[in-house]
Amino acid sequence: MTDLNRVLIVDDNKDILSTFYEFFNSMNYEVKTAVDGLAALKILKDKSNCFDCLITDLVMPNISGVGLIAIVKKEFPDMKIIAMTGYGDQPGALASEAEADIVLFKPIDLFKIENTVSKLLSENSDNNEKHD
Amino acid sequence: MLKQKNENKTMTTPLIGVSKSILKIKELIHHVADTCLNVLITGETGVGKEVVAQCLYIESERSSKNFVKINCAALPETLLESELYGYEKGAFTGAHKNRSGKFQMADKGVLFLDEIGDMPLALQSKMLHVLQSGEFSPLGSEQEFKTDVWVIAATNHNLEDSMAQKRFREDLFYRLNIIKIEIPPLRKRKEDISPLIEYYLRLYKSEYPGNHGEKPGSDTLTKLINYPWPGNVRQLQNCIKKQMILKSWEKIFDELPKEEVKLSTSTKKGRKSKKTKTLPDTKNADTPASIISEFVDLSTSSEKLFEDISLKKIKKLASDKVEKEVIYFVLDKVGWNRSRASKILKVSYKTLLYKMHEFKVLPPV
Repeated sequence: MTDLNRVLIVDDNKDILSTFYEFFNSMNYEVKTAVDGLAALKILKDKSNCFDCLITDLVMPNISGVGLIAIVKKEFPDMKIIAMTGYGDQPGALASEAEADIVLFKPIDLFKIENTVSKLLSENSDNNEKHD
Repeated sequence: MLKQKNENKTMTTPLIGVSKSILKIKELIHHVADTCLNVLITGETGVGKEVVAQCLYIESERSSKNFVKINCAALPETLLESELYGYEKGAFTGAHKNRSGKFQMADKGVLFLDEIGDMPLALQSKMLHVLQSGEFSPLGSEQEFKTDVWVIAATNHNLEDSMAQKRFREDLFYRLNIIKIEIPPLRKRKEDISPLIEYYLRLYKSEYPGNHGEKPGSDTLTKLINYPWPGNVRQLQNCIKKQMILKSWEKIFDELPKEEVKLSTSTKKGRKSKKTKTLPDTKNADTPASIISEFVDLSTSSEKLFEDISLKKIKKLASDKVEKEVIYFVLDKVGWNRSRASKILKVSYKTLLYKMHEFKVLPPV
């Protein structure tokens, strides 16, 4: 079995979450989902998990997307991060400040986001090859 | 400074509760205490926002530094500003010497901004600047100081509403709201009441060994659990303290504000009906006014007041309030099974959903 790219998708809207899950699954990714920042953090801290990319909503209960991005950048610096927001400029600006790789505004085209993920991850593997 | 830290250590109270929401808050605290990301704690008055802030501090790497608290609602604007940022000698009349502000005192530690929703707009923009840049300058000073403060803010306001009314800056809201801890009112986590009574009874007994507090009997405990506790944990604490002096839970319960009791026990075959009927003209002479004040702002001029008072409007507000309580009560009893609740309430499922939406009745998290 070849290594699939692993993504963690976080959104408090369960409909969005299941749509993303189905879509990324069909595009041959290994997908896990979480309904808020705390649930995501618990998945991330579980050592049996390992992700290449985090796709997160920004405005969520308990740990916001911005908070999650800040924690992930510190603890998993290699993970690529895509932030999605439907709440105007403020959360998006904070996500960039927290060093999300890309900030996208909702509604988001699924093919576009998959394209972004695949580009980000190929950059990653290019860099790794260079390092090797 | 040392004094402040020590005072806080002795004041620290653990977060007591067995409800799902409290367990989740404990878990959240555990996961975020070391991140030093800005936190916004929300909840009604008396739910324990400061207790949560202290728990975050105690679990963090900053626990050996200061925990500095400031109440943004308690001070007039100019005083709040000088308290937060300090001032230079000669900054204003009466500034005879330099004085450091709370930001400086909290350096490397925690700054707890209580009642942030009441902070005047002008100070909100200054606060935003400090949070963005990590720098501030005391009043009358040109020098910028670097600050490393973990900001934990709390409010009993709904800041989304305050933003819509332009009373709270959106950019400040999002900057504070990185971690959000919402503490539900006590009436929405009734299972916490018994452990809270047990904990505080034991605590007060150890503080005042001469007094004889006792646990409430099972009947009284049921009444206490079904009481809506508008003043939340703080009100419950006061009752426990009173009980140690009066030595009677019955008396304590009888002294609780009756109109609230009437609501919570109205579904229990009018158990308290005798007492509630005689209510307006007995002990509490101010009770009618206090009932009215729930629906009309009595502090305005009588002209405005007469304009605001409308029997139809008040009837709607009062019946909404009762309906909301009853809906919550029934849903809570049937484990939030809405179709069962709608049958018990003798309304259609659709009506119940509509009313839940209208009254913002949400299941406990």
